[in-house]
Formats: sequence, structure tokens, C-alpha cells
Amino acid sequence: MKTPARVSAASSITASIGATWTRFWFTPAGPWPLAVVRILGGLLALALWASYAGDLETWFGPFGMISPALLGAWRSPYAVSLFDLTTSSTGLLVAYGLGGLVLVAVTIGLATPVTTVLGAIAFAAILHRGPMLVGPADDVVAVILWCLAIGRSGDSLSVDRLVGAWLGRSAPRPSVRTRIALGLLQVHAAVIAGAAAVAQLKGDVWWNGTAAWWLAARAESPLVDLTGVFLQSEYLMNLVTHAIVFFEIVFAVGLWFRAVRRPLALAGVVAWPLIGLLAGEPFWGLALAVLSVGCWPPDSVPGTESGATSVLFPPIG
Amino acid sequence: MPEKTPPPPLSDALRAGLTVAIALYLVGLALCVAGNSASGSSALVRTVKSKLFSPWMTPLWLDLGYDTRLTHGLAEDGDHRVEIRRLDDPAAPEPVILPGPAMHGERAARWRRLAQATAASESDPEREGLLPAAIGQGVFTPWYTDDVSLRVLRHLPPDRRDAIDGLADVGGRVEQAYAARVRLVDGEVQLITSTPREELAPLVKEPAR
Repeated sequence: MKTPARVSAASSITASIGATWTRFWFTPAGPWPLAVVRILGGLLALALWASYAGDLETWFGPFGMISPALLGAWRSPYAVSLFDLTTSSTGLLVAYGLGGLVLVAVTIGLATPVTTVLGAIAFAAILHRGPMLVGPADDVVAVILWCLAIGRSGDSLSVDRLVGAWLGRSAPRPSVRTRIALGLLQVHAAVIAGAAAVAQLKGDVWWNGTAAWWLAARAESPLVDLTGVFLQSEYLMNLVTHAIVFFEIVFAVGLWFRAVRRPLALAGVVAWPLIGLLAGEPFWGLALAVLSVGCWPPDSVPGTESGATSVLFPPIG
Repeated sequence: MPEKTPPPPLSDALRAGLTVAIALYLVGLALCVAGNSASGSSALVRTVKSKLFSPWMTPLWLDLGYDTRLTHGLAEDGDHRVEIRRLDDPAAPEPVILPGPAMHGERAARWRRLAQATAASESDPEREGLLPAAIGQGVFTPWYTDDVSLRVLRHLPPDRRDAIDGLADVGGRVEQAYAARVRLVDGEVQLITSTPREELAPLVKEPAR
């Protein structure tokens, strides 16, 4: 039989969890962090989109390597792509061009409620058209685009905001939708960093400190040649290896502690691109840096919207 | 500056609905991470994920494991490339290597992934031969040929200690991860794989006692 004290303690814990949940997901957030994520994520998505341009016909054309028959056997039965509908070279080019235009619109913040959704759909479509070409950066950017579609990412630093100001509309208020999008970005940042650390720690090289060597000594992927440095200093190689895993774990866990969230988000903006550079996955590093921007503690006090909107795009008149 | 009014609070019903949706997505995310690991997944996770979450998370490109290991120091972690040579013309120029020297950045990385997937899929019974045949078939039309050889080459970095001791070149070495001949016969694509040389070596039997 439950005593009143136990019942009280249980209800207190439940109430505390409920309050934390509500504060995290439903406190209206100011628009600028998501707007910055939109611009940077849009630029990244455009760069990844552009990387298909040179081989579009070779891969996805009517006589391309990645044929519908191959996809039928390769993909999950639930996978669908708008590019599956393009049966001619012209259709493929038109679809690709339109997708690129949508991503430009996302980046500049034009008709964002529509273009962010279309951008996320287009990006997922091209990934599904050639799943064997997809890298870790594509996965992260896909997540970022869906989060942009959920939040009000065009409320600041956007063409939409400029037009709104020109029409005399007041600056948008902090929004719950934006808060949910930022919350999802934070959850994904932690999950992606944590999953990477777990995956790495399954390999001996991340324990014996030689992983940095194996990354640097690859023939083509690395953008900076550190083999000479690592040949000279075993300790430095060990330090870099352990630092990568340490940072990933600290990032994944630390994001959930208010006191260190801001410095960690800042550190992420610097550290992730460096890790990506060493690993030969620069876009992955940049995408995680964009996620770090999304983890910046939002301006969450209702009625005190961040200065970014009013300073850059003050209401006209 | 006019004082702004705070946004109206969400209704309890809307908040409850959003809570359910977020919680559902978080469960899906956890199952995707657990179910898409390179280490495999349990039957329970696989079944729940494939029945309840994959149907809507896969089309959105969210059914992901995010297990970016970067490297485990294995051969399969090395840089891969595809080499294609036409076989029906003895005067044919040098083989085409993809990614080519003019390709950089993410474009080159995508070709490397294609090459890596080609080699890796050969150990997957459900995907064996699919990519090599598709790549070969993909060059038939633009090259006006129906007979090509295809190799996947991978770069193996040297062990650091061997490089220091002079036992291995710092630049590493290249090995053949996969080789096949792809040709079109009566409209059908034929794939003739080359058996790795070591597998052709005679078995050394234990002496009879």
C-alpha cells in the first residue's frame, strides 16, 4: 500500500519532469538562432546539391549507372524519390534545377513556410535517388532542413521579413514552433555526436590512439596532410585521437546542462569543422557546426525578441 | 518602442497532441539509431522499427543510424576508386578512373562512396553483383561499347610503426578490392567476376598419418 509521502514524492517528480518538458519544448523562442541555421544550413544544402551537378546524367540519367532496376533491389521498400518520376534527361535537369532554386529560396528566406518544406522534400528525394552516394553530411543536412520546415525559420534575416517590414507588419513574436525546431536540432546534435562516439569506440584504433593516423594517412580524403606531424610525435597523434572522442562525448552530454550549453555550442562551431577537415568529411564537420548554432540557448523570453531582427530589418515607416 | 504582448499560451489539447508527436518521434529516433548500427540490431528493435517507424521515417530520410565511425583502421576504411576499361577495342585509351584527377570535394567523395559500396556489397548476398553490373551498364551507351572490365581499387595506408621503420612506404599501397568483366550478350548483362588470386592457390592438406 502506498503511503501519502510516497505518493507526494512521485507526483512531485512527475510534475518536475512535466515542467522541464514544457519549458524545453513549449517556451516560445526568438527567431534569430533558427534564422542563422537556415542561412548556413541552406548554403550547405546548396553545396551538397551542387556536388551532383557534374555527374547527374552519368548517375541518374535514362542510361545512368543508378537505374530504377538497381534501386528497386537496393532501397528500402518505403523509399520514394521525386526523381524516380524523371524518365528523360530534360526532366531530370528540370527537377534538379527546380530543387536547386528551392534551396536558394530557403537560404535567402523567400516564402519560407513553403520553400523549407519543399527543400526538405527535394533534398530527401535526391538522397533516395542514389543512396550509395550519400555521406554523413547529407544525413545531417537532411535533419537540419526538416527542422527548418517545422520552425518559423523565415521570421528573421530573410526576404520574407524584409517584405513584411516593407508592408508595415510588426516584427514576429517568439514562437513555440521555433522552440520545437531548436529543441529537435539540439536532440539531433546530441544523438549524432553520441552515436559517432559509440561507433568509433567499437574500433581498437580509437582506444590505442592511432585513429588520427589512419585518418590522416588516407590517400585522397584528407584536406590537410598531418602524416609528417604524426610520424614525428606519437603523443600528438594519441592526443588528437582521444580529443575527438572526448569532445564528442562531452558535446553529446553537456548540451543538456544549461551552464555549459553556450560554451559547448561555441566550441562546436570551431571543433566540428576541424574534425571534419582531419577526417576528410569537411561537410559533415560544417553540418555539425550548423547544428551547434542551433543549440545556442534561444532568446526565450516572450516579448523580448532578439535584436537581430529589429537591428537588421527594422519596420519601415 | 511599442510594448509587445507575449504570444498566447498553447491550449492544453494542442500541447498534449504536440507532446505525443514529439515523444513518438523521439522513440523513432532512438529505434533508428539502435536499428541502423553497423553492429546489427535485435529482432525486437528491427521489428518494431520496421512496422511502426520506417514507413514514415524512411521517405523523409530520417531512418538513420548516424554511426559515423570515421575509421577503424581497416582496409574498407581506405579511399576507394573505380577503374573502367573497355575491352572490345585494343586501341582503347587508358582506363577511366573515378573519381578522376579533376574531381574534388564532395563530388569526388560521392564517387569514392560508390566504389566503396561496390566492394562492400559483394559480401551481401542480397546485393551481390548489383552495383558492378549497373556501373558497367552505365558506360555501355556513352562509350558505344558492350564489353568493359571494372575494378575497384583501394588505398591502404601503412601502419605508422612500419612507416617509421622503413618497412612500408608512407604513401601506402593500392590493392584490388573487386574485379569483374561486364558485357552485354543478346541484351542481357553478364557479370564475370575475377576470383582473387589467393583463392586460386592450392589447398595445403595435412599429411596423412
